Amino acid sequence: MGARAVEIAAVLAVAIFLVLALGGEHPTETPVRAYVVEHGEEQTGAANLVTSVYLGYRAFDTLGETIVLLLAVSGVVLFVEHRQ
Amino acid sequence: MRKTDILDVVSRKLAPFMFLFGLYLVSHGDLSPGGGFQGGVVIASGVILLAMAKGSAAAAALLPVRKLAVTEAVAFGLILAVGLAGVLMGAGFLADVLYDGTLLPIVRTPFVFILNLLIGLKVGAGASLICLHLFAQE
Repeated sequence: MGARAVEIAAVLAVAIFLVLALGGEHPTETPVRAYVVEHGEEQTGAANLVTSVYLGYRAFDTLGETIVLLLAVSGVVLFVEHRQ
Repeated sequence: MRKTDILDVVSRKLAPFMFLFGLYLVSHGDLSPGGGFQGGVVIASGVILLAMAKGSAAAAALLPVRKLAVTEAVAFGLILAVGLAGVLMGAGFLADVLYDGTLLPIVRTPFVFILNLLIGLKVGAGASLICLHLFAQE
């Protein structure tokens, strides 16, 4: 009974913390965000602003992301083939 | 592992639609949520579904591991080639040299479309490759 009550209290505390910490409006209004919202579509042609960032402004990051996946695949193939 | 007929029938009917939805996500990346990476992973999840229902040998017969590996490497090489094409045109690595303010029919923005397509191919082949290798271990 006591242990269960402590568990419920802990879950409730975490839930309240998350609601207070993450709820409500995001206060971050940075110059970069304002710039992308204003010019993203006209400069890259992508109506989806996420795409305009990851293929328009920061395509180099996307290249690095594909390299990470390439290395992950290489590692899996290496270890799986060597076990046989 | 024991399988039921339900898994068998549903996965065979569902997998083609998952491939189609993956292609939709890849090709509409500039308009709606999605893009090359997400679409590629959806395509790979169709491969996983086939591998779970029909066995990894059947999935590997549809998409041979060797061809997936070549696809991934070639797609990565083509992404680099697209980036270097920007350098050759004097605009910088991975710069968009195709978009001049006008939206083309169907592909709309050729640079974003091509890169999404290549990334979708690469991620789809890579994620499928990992899963087929791990399933083949069983």
